[in-house]
Amino acid sequence: MADRIFAGVLLLVAIGYTIIAFTVIRAPFQYDPLGPESWPRILGLVAIPCILFVLVRPDVETFGMPLRTWGRLAALVVMLSGYAYLFQPLGFILATIVFCMALALMLGSRIVPALAFSVGIGLGGYFLCTKLLDLNLPAGILTFLR
Amino acid sequence: MKLIHIASALALSAVIGAPAFAQEIDRPECVAPAKPGGGFDLTCRIAQQGLEKQFDGPMEVTFLPGGIGAVAINLFNTTRTDDPNAIVAFSSGSLLNMAIGKYGQWGADDVRFLATAGTDYGAVIVRADSPYQSLDDLMADLEKDPGSVVMGAGGSVGSQDWMKAAILLKSKELDPRKMRYVAFDGGGDAIAGLLGGSIQVYFGDVGEMVSHLGTGEMRILAAMSPERLPAPFNDIATAKELGYDAEWPIVRGFYMGKDVPDAAYDKWVEAFNAAYGTEEWSKLVKDKGLLPLNLSGQEMDADMKKRVERMTGIAKEAGLIQ
Amino acid sequence: MDAVFSGLASGFAVALDPFNLFLVLAGCFAGTLIGALPGIGPINGVAILLPIAYGLGFKPESAIILLAGIYYGAEYGGRISSILLNVPGDAGAVMTTLDGNPMARNGEAGKALSLSAVASFIGGTFAVILMSFFGPALASYAIHFSPSDYVALMVFAFASLASLVGSNPVKTLLGAVIGLMLASIGIDANTGVPRFTFGIPDILAGIDFLVVVIGLFGMAELIHLVEQQAAGTLKTLKIDKSFVTLKDLAFVKWTILRGSVIGFFIGILPGTGASVASAVAYGAEKRAATDSSKFGEGDMRGLAAPEAANNASAGGAMVPMLTLGIPGSGTTAILLGALLLFNVTPGPLMFTQRPEIAWGLIASMYIGNIALLIINLPLVGLFARLLTIPQQFLTPLIAVLAFVGVYSVVSNPHDLYMIIALGVFGWFLRKLQFSLAPVILGFVLGGLFEDNLRRALSISAGDWTILLSSWNSIALYGLALLVVVVPIVLGRRKRNRAEDEAPKAPA
Repeated sequence: MADRIFAGVLLLVAIGYTIIAFTVIRAPFQYDPLGPESWPRILGLVAIPCILFVLVRPDVETFGMPLRTWGRLAALVVMLSGYAYLFQPLGFILATIVFCMALALMLGSRIVPALAFSVGIGLGGYFLCTKLLDLNLPAGILTFLR
Repeated sequence: MKLIHIASALALSAVIGAPAFAQEIDRPECVAPAKPGGGFDLTCRIAQQGLEKQFDGPMEVTFLPGGIGAVAINLFNTTRTDDPNAIVAFSSGSLLNMAIGKYGQWGADDVRFLATAGTDYGAVIVRADSPYQSLDDLMADLEKDPGSVVMGAGGSVGSQDWMKAAILLKSKELDPRKMRYVAFDGGGDAIAGLLGGSIQVYFGDVGEMVSHLGTGEMRILAAMSPERLPAPFNDIATAKELGYDAEWPIVRGFYMGKDVPDAAYDKWVEAFNAAYGTEEWSKLVKDKGLLPLNLSGQEMDADMKKRVERMTGIAKEAGLIQ
Repeated sequence: MDAVFSGLASGFAVALDPFNLFLVLAGCFAGTLIGALPGIGPINGVAILLPIAYGLGFKPESAIILLAGIYYGAEYGGRISSILLNVPGDAGAVMTTLDGNPMARNGEAGKALSLSAVASFIGGTFAVILMSFFGPALASYAIHFSPSDYVALMVFAFASLASLVGSNPVKTLLGAVIGLMLASIGIDANTGVPRFTFGIPDILAGIDFLVVVIGLFGMAELIHLVEQQAAGTLKTLKIDKSFVTLKDLAFVKWTILRGSVIGFFIGILPGTGASVASAVAYGAEKRAATDSSKFGEGDMRGLAAPEAANNASAGGAMVPMLTLGIPGSGTTAILLGALLLFNVTPGPLMFTQRPEIAWGLIASMYIGNIALLIINLPLVGLFARLLTIPQQFLTPLIAVLAFVGVYSVVSNPHDLYMIIALGVFGWFLRKLQFSLAPVILGFVLGGLFEDNLRRALSISAGDWTILLSSWNSIALYGLALLVVVVPIVLGRRKRNRAEDEAPKAPA
């Protein structure tokens, strides 16, 4: 079943891809023998039968995960997205501290070690990367760091 | 994407609560709209080293790859339109993209051209053992059948490398759509293709030939400059003097956001003007494989806009755009 | 030949100057640190540290030697995260994860790290030796490799990858096609027509390879870790003090040599680099092995082959740059830029005009390889300890490292969302028993395959026989047939033998 759901979604994407390859993609004039459209067309036409095969003969029945685990993974993706969203405006240090705290707590750490770890990674990581390795990390609202 | 930029800009100003961008040039920055190591990087290094004495702090070079400059022009038309600190490197390739609408809604009027770093010119290059001794030999074959010669360069059809070949054909009223053009991934691969015999003619730049001039591996049939270039290129004939009206200058320079206050813009212009006269600047430009071209301010802005207009005309004739 | 020896002697005189020697060591160390960040490999490592090296105001040869040290360090650092965290440090280190990470999971992290250091050292040194003696001849061979030959090389690469087939061949094929489809996004290199970009400027130039690698591998691994943790099957590993032994090295000596040869020759071709080299070396090694059942579960050969190959290809890529002034790969393009920055014009004339730089650089590659071994072997234990960090801290750390790696290079927050999305996608693929390696390889090879096929047909004006017009191509198609057919024949013969004959287990 799990296979089928995934293959179903993939099939829709592949059909969309193939339709675009056959209709939208076009060079201003035919210049090389294949043109920009042939390759994607071939890929689409190979992908669709493969997906159909998986749809007809799936081999993975279930994800085998309790609902609780699904919840955890959803929380993880939300945290990651939040981290990405805050990365620039809030700056590396604060965004990292918030993210590491949240994830470490979810994974069962106690508050004090989690706090020590997060602050350590946020501050240590920032100074190690920007001062020692000259990488570009956002200072964010801590503008005095720039 | 734009939404994200706007959202983060809003969040930023909400958090700081103060004017996000100061009017002073306190953190000069050159944005290279590509990954490190390419031509834009080199262009920014010219500004970084050449303007060293004009600013208090060191100029930072940052990278903003994506869409051959599309990401950068998009950013400077959405969130950083009035950033007085940042200049963005551009080349003739960027101008061409503006001319043929590759940057979507953004064109030459959406930026404020600031100053040039230098210039280069297109070159028609063959292997040393090629039967084409002169541009006339090559053109004679092309006039018989434009599809008989395999030509190549480092850019796609419709790129500025392709345009060099297209305008050369145009000078004899030949149809650029009929030529056999092979697009390589950058000039290096194209030179390898020429030396390896995959292509017969390579459309490159004069500047990149510096390292190959003395080796006797390749021959430059013509430079696509208005007049003879200074040494070591003074022996190379121009396409023009050979009777082909094919000129292709490759300019490298910088633009800023269109809402940058005049005070900051003028300060940048002053900085460039001060550097232009110096010995170090001309040496720097030469070392980076460019020829001197010192244009800045309004004059430069007008010149660039004229170039874009001319490119639009050529692109139309070549059938790239309607 | 005499010229080579005297050149090398003068080069070593430059490189062995105490100050320059110190710079090589310092560069190797800094490079290892920066390379250990997922996403920051030699290309970006050198590009990022280039301005510092320039700003220090050293003599050109010293600065170039420092950069060579950084380059080698970053090259090595990339595999640390591949082996320990299953997050490839850079494009060339993808294949390293396949057997390197299982070794670490089996409690052999120290052995995997030290073995990869030795394999890298041999591959790198092999390449530098060939380069210093046969550079010009090899370069002229490399440039005669035409677009149609590249097509044959791609066919060979895909054929050797057939060995990556997992439990379900259709899923493997589909995985490769997904990779090819991802690679087709962006502006078409031949005609400049945008494909599947939907007007989003950030993907006009295509999806960056790093973003795909970090997303599909790194972020998917992160999600996988959290899933395991929720299920209670995740344990923090104990300190392991394993180290590579002479017996191990004897077992993989031919593997390393084969990997070095394959890597070097793929490396000297302009346009193909460490990622193609390591993939082909891995595939070929698995094909060549009489017993390949342990591949993917921590077989030393599966680690040694790609490691030797990617370092050998890094050396090979220097050949066209130094002899012809043509950058053969992204990293050499950066080094070329670095030389320009120091007003040195790379190319054939460099050896006569600035011999101290040309030969100094080559000599520093020899030294860099040795320095890498000296610096990294003692650090193996320290790096292996990374795995003993409690999971609730190690997991967030992986996310932070991935974010830093992706963001610090180009500072585009858009890439951060991309790696999350690709991570979720990669996790689904893993969960449904798709192998991720074909996806990545499809992505790497897709652009090269299509572009060269179209270049070849442009050259021939649509005549398909150009694909069979050179001995290079014919030989490669022959090899491709061989790697597909031989294992089938061997497998059949083996089955015909007595069933109870136990397969020889790796030492």
